[in-house]
Amino acid sequence: MTSIERMNAASFAANGSQPPAIDIRDLRVDYGNFVAVDDLTLSVPPGEVFGLVGPNGAGKTSTFRVLTTLMEPTYGEVILDGVDVLEDIESARRIIGYMPDLAPVPSDLKVWEFLDFHAAAYGLGTKAQRRERAAECLEEVALTDQRDKWCKELSRGQTQRVVLAKTLLHRPRVLILDEPASGLDPLARRDLRNALRRLAKTGATVFVSSHILSELAEMCTSLCVMNRGRLLASGTVDEVRQQMGSTERTLTATLLGRQEAAASWLSAQHAVHDLRIDLNQVIFGFKGTDEAQADLMEGMIRLGIRVRAFEEKRSSFEDILVEVAESNRRP
Amino acid sequence: MNEHPPSRHPAWKIWSNPVFRRYCRSRLRPQGLGVSLLVTVLIAGFIVAMVRAVGLQNQMDPSDAARSVIIPLLFLQGIILFVLGTAQAAGGMTAERDEGVIDYQRLIPMSPLSKVLGYLFGLPVREYVMFLTTLPFTGWALWTGGVAWQVWLPLYAVVFTSALTYHFTGLLTGTVAKNRRWAFLASIGLVFCLYTAVPQMAKFGLVFFKYLTVTPVVEESLPGLLSKTVGAAVESIQKLAPTVKFFGLDFSETVFTVFSQGGLILTFVVMLCRKWRRAESHLLGKTWATGFFIWIQTLLLGNALPLIDTGSLFPSRGFTRMVRMMNQRPPDPMEAVAMSGIYGLITLALIFILVAIVTPSTDSQLRGWRRARKQGDTSLSFFSDAATGFWAAIVMALAGAGGWFLFTRGLVESRWFPGHEVPIGVFGLFAAVLLSAGVGYQALLEAKGGRHVTLTAIFVGVVPVMIGAVMAVSENLAPIAVWLIGMSPLSLPVYASSSLLSLAELPEGLSRAMPRAFQFWLFVAILTCCWLVKNLWVARRAMARKVLDAPAAEP
Repeated sequence: MTSIERMNAASFAANGSQPPAIDIRDLRVDYGNFVAVDDLTLSVPPGEVFGLVGPNGAGKTSTFRVLTTLMEPTYGEVILDGVDVLEDIESARRIIGYMPDLAPVPSDLKVWEFLDFHAAAYGLGTKAQRRERAAECLEEVALTDQRDKWCKELSRGQTQRVVLAKTLLHRPRVLILDEPASGLDPLARRDLRNALRRLAKTGATVFVSSHILSELAEMCTSLCVMNRGRLLASGTVDEVRQQMGSTERTLTATLLGRQEAAASWLSAQHAVHDLRIDLNQVIFGFKGTDEAQADLMEGMIRLGIRVRAFEEKRSSFEDILVEVAESNRRP
Repeated sequence: MNEHPPSRHPAWKIWSNPVFRRYCRSRLRPQGLGVSLLVTVLIAGFIVAMVRAVGLQNQMDPSDAARSVIIPLLFLQGIILFVLGTAQAAGGMTAERDEGVIDYQRLIPMSPLSKVLGYLFGLPVREYVMFLTTLPFTGWALWTGGVAWQVWLPLYAVVFTSALTYHFTGLLTGTVAKNRRWAFLASIGLVFCLYTAVPQMAKFGLVFFKYLTVTPVVEESLPGLLSKTVGAAVESIQKLAPTVKFFGLDFSETVFTVFSQGGLILTFVVMLCRKWRRAESHLLGKTWATGFFIWIQTLLLGNALPLIDTGSLFPSRGFTRMVRMMNQRPPDPMEAVAMSGIYGLITLALIFILVAIVTPSTDSQLRGWRRARKQGDTSLSFFSDAATGFWAAIVMALAGAGGWFLFTRGLVESRWFPGHEVPIGVFGLFAAVLLSAGVGYQALLEAKGGRHVTLTAIFVGVVPVMIGAVMAVSENLAPIAVWLIGMSPLSLPVYASSSLLSLAELPEGLSRAMPRAFQFWLFVAILTCCWLVKNLWVARRAMARKVLDAPAAEP
């Protein structure tokens, strides 16, 4: 277990005594000599909207395919809502709702027929009950008016929403969504976000991956970052940023005079770099802890420099992941 | 949260099977179905009107004219169910994968068997309806022709089981084939093979294979389906032929056909269920594959051995019987030699097919070893997919050699060839042929993978035979051709029968070359097999050591 995985386990333990909704232990997936998922251990408490972030080839889809019983891992243990996915496939399938990346739809069915087929397959009661549930799900994804359309006639975004409606049909306790927001317009994304939150409030656990990281940050209560099959960080967005060691930020000090003196003093500090003066502002890069940043501010004031404002701009979450992805390309 | 009761879709409740109903919905839409039914009714109506009119024109009585319609209608029904239905089963399955929706179906909480049956009856449901629309025409012909139910009921029972066999073939092809076009072509090819090529084996003593088609039952039913005079003639010829014999037991053609197809269907069901349970699984487990091989050997022997003494197993006797020249000429000794060689060749081909199914890929072996390491084991579970297929190949080769030996001994030591016998040592040589070819192939496949096997098959299995065949045209070069062809492992069973049996009467040039070529190439095959097996064990040990001895973080 890596230190990040221990932190993930500890954070789960702090969340209470409820068993985790998703419990992955020592999961490994190989394709020949390529290790797609490398001894991953991860726990997600019930009712979370948990995000999985990582560059291409990080092992997200392989993890999802194992979780959804579509692939047998090399080894490892996956428990979803108390059901061992590798031992009791049929029971696991009843509690899983899975929406794959680029979710396909059958070309020979209408929207309502597609939903009705799945409702019947999941044993959702009588014909009337099935239709009622399908209507509810279509309403949830704002597609009620498309129920009689052929699936093949839907736009990309509408297709995503129909598949989401299909995924919600049997009220899964664990929802696994691979890039659900791709192809959705801003309004639909907002609806998706709201729908996932509503679902989480009912006790369902949502495990979601996305390449639109800002979306994921807004959508998720917590998330983890994977790279090359390993877990790099896990927790809230801020915790993840901290775990990934990103202390880089850009600071702007707006001064009432003495810019040169301030610049001269600042450039002597080891954590400061890329300093420039822009009218009454001194702008510089800073890499250090929050305490070091506070010391810097205090030092300027002690020098007698009058600081009118002090602004910081942290590197975005996207920047962190770009850095991770670029590190993959380096030999 | 999940307030609905667990879904249960018993496999036998096909009418409420969601997969079946999904295809009823999509494939029975009025627009598409209407055109299909119109075309079917038009063709069936045309056949009935035309054939009946010609019959009446030729002074047939109305009942005979009605009977003459049945066989052409059966042909149309065969095309609908066997060809169109199979293509639909294969193509529909591949379409599911092409579109990517098959993952949804995998996730549905239904048993693999329910899913398989849903697809089996759902995908070709339009073809079943088309078939049903031809039944009123058939019903009229049977009624007007006065055909007894004892004739048509077994016939249509076997038409149904044959349709199931072919649809399973299509479904399996669709599950395994990579794209829609290949699935369609492969399924048509397989049906063609099952219907035309495989039954031809019956002519060379492998009688069982003809029971995979509807033909024996059609032949049995012919007297009742044809016009009275022709039917009586056919019946009198048929009386000369025995019923189906299986060791000491007698069966009707219908029962034995259903029994034979049932075994094949059961195996197809196992294959498909394994694939639905885990997409990465082998089509058959090692035990099932070995059992299936032994079952085929048993059926081949059970059908063939009782027909030897009557002489009806020999192709030449089958022909003379038809022209009422029974007991006038004994079978040719070379017939028996050829039949033995073909038995060995088919056995070897079956070993190749089944071994390819149960041999693990390198990827699968690696995963197996890593899993074993994680669980603290130092070996793989003997029957797991990741375990070696070596033992299965050995058991199949030995069982095949046993079957081949019994068949050959039955032929050679029969009353037709007095004074000839097959010593027990021949079993050892037959076993050496099948072991060296079958186990060598398995070792190469497991250690090096499919690409090496394909290249070896081309350059060692096929090219020498092709070059040798061209050379054999010239009489002077025939002995050299024999040596060249002998290089191919496929030729070893034929060479074994030709060289080891006292019945063999080869031309002078060949009678010297063939036994020597056989001995030489068998020796080479055995050495090669030993070398391949050694390589396999070295490769497996290296892989196991690499995984088991790796540091904890990097197994």
